[in-house]
Amino acid sequence: MPFPNRSSRTRQRIVLLVGIMVLIVTIVVVLAAVLAHGRKESSVQLLEWKGRGTTKNLQEVILGRCYNYITTVNPELRDKDCQKIWETMKNAFVYKNPCNITTEDYQPLLDLASHPVPCNKSLFWSKTNDLVHRYTKANHNLFTLEDTLLGYMTDGVSWCGSPSRPGINYESCPKWSECESNPSTVYWKMASKMFAEAACGVVQVMLNGSVDDAFRSSSIFGSVEIFNLDPDKVSAVQIWLMHNIGGPHRESCVGHSITKLTSILEERNLSVSCEDNYRPVQLLQCTSDPDHADCRLCTSNVQ
Amino acid sequence: NMNSFFLSLLVGLLFSKDYVKPTEIDRKKWKGEGTTPNLESIVIGRCYEYIRLVNPNVGEKNCTEIWEAFKNAFINKDPCNILPSDYELFINLSVHTIPPNKALFWENNHLLVTSYSDKSRRYMPLCDTLIASFGDFLNWCGQANDTGFDYDSCPMTEECENNAVESFWRIASITYAKQSSGVIYVMLNGSAIGGAYPVKGFFADYELPNLQKDRISRIEIWVMDDIGGPDLDSCGKGSVQILEERLKTMGYDITCIDNYKSVLLLKCLDYPYHSDCSIFSSAPSTQRRLVSSERGNSWSRLIYTIFVAFVFEICFNP
Repeated sequence: MPFPNRSSRTRQRIVLLVGIMVLIVTIVVVLAAVLAHGRKESSVQLLEWKGRGTTKNLQEVILGRCYNYITTVNPELRDKDCQKIWETMKNAFVYKNPCNITTEDYQPLLDLASHPVPCNKSLFWSKTNDLVHRYTKANHNLFTLEDTLLGYMTDGVSWCGSPSRPGINYESCPKWSECESNPSTVYWKMASKMFAEAACGVVQVMLNGSVDDAFRSSSIFGSVEIFNLDPDKVSAVQIWLMHNIGGPHRESCVGHSITKLTSILEERNLSVSCEDNYRPVQLLQCTSDPDHADCRLCTSNVQ
Repeated sequence: NMNSFFLSLLVGLLFSKDYVKPTEIDRKKWKGEGTTPNLESIVIGRCYEYIRLVNPNVGEKNCTEIWEAFKNAFINKDPCNILPSDYELFINLSVHTIPPNKALFWENNHLLVTSYSDKSRRYMPLCDTLIASFGDFLNWCGQANDTGFDYDSCPMTEECENNAVESFWRIASITYAKQSSGVIYVMLNGSAIGGAYPVKGFFADYELPNLQKDRISRIEIWVMDDIGGPDLDSCGKGSVQILEERLKTMGYDITCIDNYKSVLLLKCLDYPYHSDCSIFSSAPSTQRRLVSSERGNSWSRLIYTIFVAFVFEICFNP
C-alpha cells in the first residue's frame, strides 16, 4: 500500500475520533432515555393508590413508641423485645403486595406485642376518636385499643409495602375502598378482635349521638368488636352516648341504631345499659367551651 | 388472716436485716435513679414523631444529629460538672418557634398541664416542644473517662447542682421563655405547700427573667386549687401577690384568675360529683359511677410484694 501522506492520515484520525464521539453520545442518549422511561414506569407503579403513603421514619417512630410505652407508660411490660416486635411488623408487609395481606402475616406481631388489660377497664369507641382519647389521657383509668402497646405503636401512622424496591411505599397506600386486604385494615381488624376477646368485667363504649347512626354495622366496632366480646367474661356493656356541646342531637339512648346495638348484644347474652352524655366525658368537652349553656347546668351555688 | 401473717413475717425480717450484709443498694454511686434504658431509641423515636406527626411545622430536622449533640453535652464527663451551655449545639439544632399566645408556663401541676395542652393543640407548654421531647419523664447521666451512660445511678440536684438533667431543664426553660410571644399564660397550684409561686424555681429563676418584653402583649395567671384541696394561695394573696408585684415592676400588663373555669372542668373529670365541681352538676346521675373494688385487695397485695422482695434480697444476695 502506498505510504499515506501526513495530512490525509491526520484527517483520517479526526474522522475516526468524531465517529467514536458520535457513537458514544448516541449510546449515552439512548441509555438515558431508557433509564428515565424505566424510572417513570417504576414510579408510576408506586404512585398507584389514593391513601396516604407510609409515614417517613416509620422504623424510628415505631421503635421509639414501643420503648417509650414499656419504659414510661406501662413499665409492667419492660421485658418486651421492641427490636423483635419491629422486625415482625416489618416482615408482615415489606416487599408484599399491599392488597394481599392476610391474618397470618400479622400473627407473629400480635403474639409478641399483646398484653392483658385489667377487667372493667376496656373502653371501646366508634366515631369519637378525638374525644375518647382525650378522655383516656386525662383519666388514666380506662384503656382504649390505642392505649395498649399494639394500638399505641401504630396510632395515626400509615404503612404499606410494594413488591418493588425499596419494599415500602412512601408515596401512597391503598384505601379500604381500593382493596380490603390492605396492611392497615387487616392490622386494625385483627388488633380490635384481640382487644375485644381479652375484655372482661364491665366494658364501656363511647358513641357519637351527633352523627347519623351512632352505631353502624360497617364500623370496626359494629362488625368485629361486638362479635368478639366473650359473654362468659364480660358481665355488662355500658354505652355512653355523647353529643357535641351545642348539639345536634341526632340519636339518643332510645334511638333506632342504639336499639339495634342493644338487641345484638342481648342476643349474645350480654346485659346492656345506656347513658346520654356521661357526665365526666361531658366535662371534658366543656373544657373547650366552658361558657356554653350546656356546660352551665348549675344548682344553687354559682361563683 | 393472710394479711397479718405476712405482716408479722415482714416485721421479723426487718429486724433480722441487721445481721445481713449491706446490699448492692448501699454501694450505688449516687442517690438518683440511673439512665433510662433504651434512651437513644426512645429519644430518636420521639424526635421523629414530633417532626412527622405532632408538629410538622418545625420542618425537616436530622434527629440522629440532634441526638449526638444531646449526648455529647454530658457523655465522658464528670457528671457533676455539666453546664447548661454544654447543650448549646443541641439547642441550636432543635429550637423552634412557639406560636404566639400559646406559651403556657407552670409550677406544681405537670400532669394537669400536659392533659390541658392537648399535645400542643390548645397550648404549647415546654413539654410539647421538640426540645422537651428529649427529656420529658426521662433520666440520664454519664461518667468521667467512660463513653457510656451510667445506668446504675445518677446524681440528684441535692448532691450536685451541675448535673446533666438539671442543666438540661435550665437551658430548655431559658430557651422556651425566649421563644414565647403574644399573651403568656401561667398555671399555678393554689394548694401547693410553700406557695403557688415558688420564689426559687424554674419559672422564677430561668423563665421569667428571659421573657422578651417587646414581644409580649400581656400575662394571664391561673391559680388552680386541688379538688377538695386547701385554698392556700389565690390572686392578690401570698406568693401570687409577690409574683404579681414582680411582673408589674417589670412593666407587664397582667390579669389573674382563680380556678379558671376551663381548667377546672378538666380537674373535675376525676371528681365529677365533688362539691367543688357542683357548679357544673346537673341532677345526680341515675347511673352509678363504677367505684374500683380493688382498693381492699391492693393493700394485701402490697404487703405480700414487700415480703417476697425481702425474701429474694436475703436469699439471693449472700
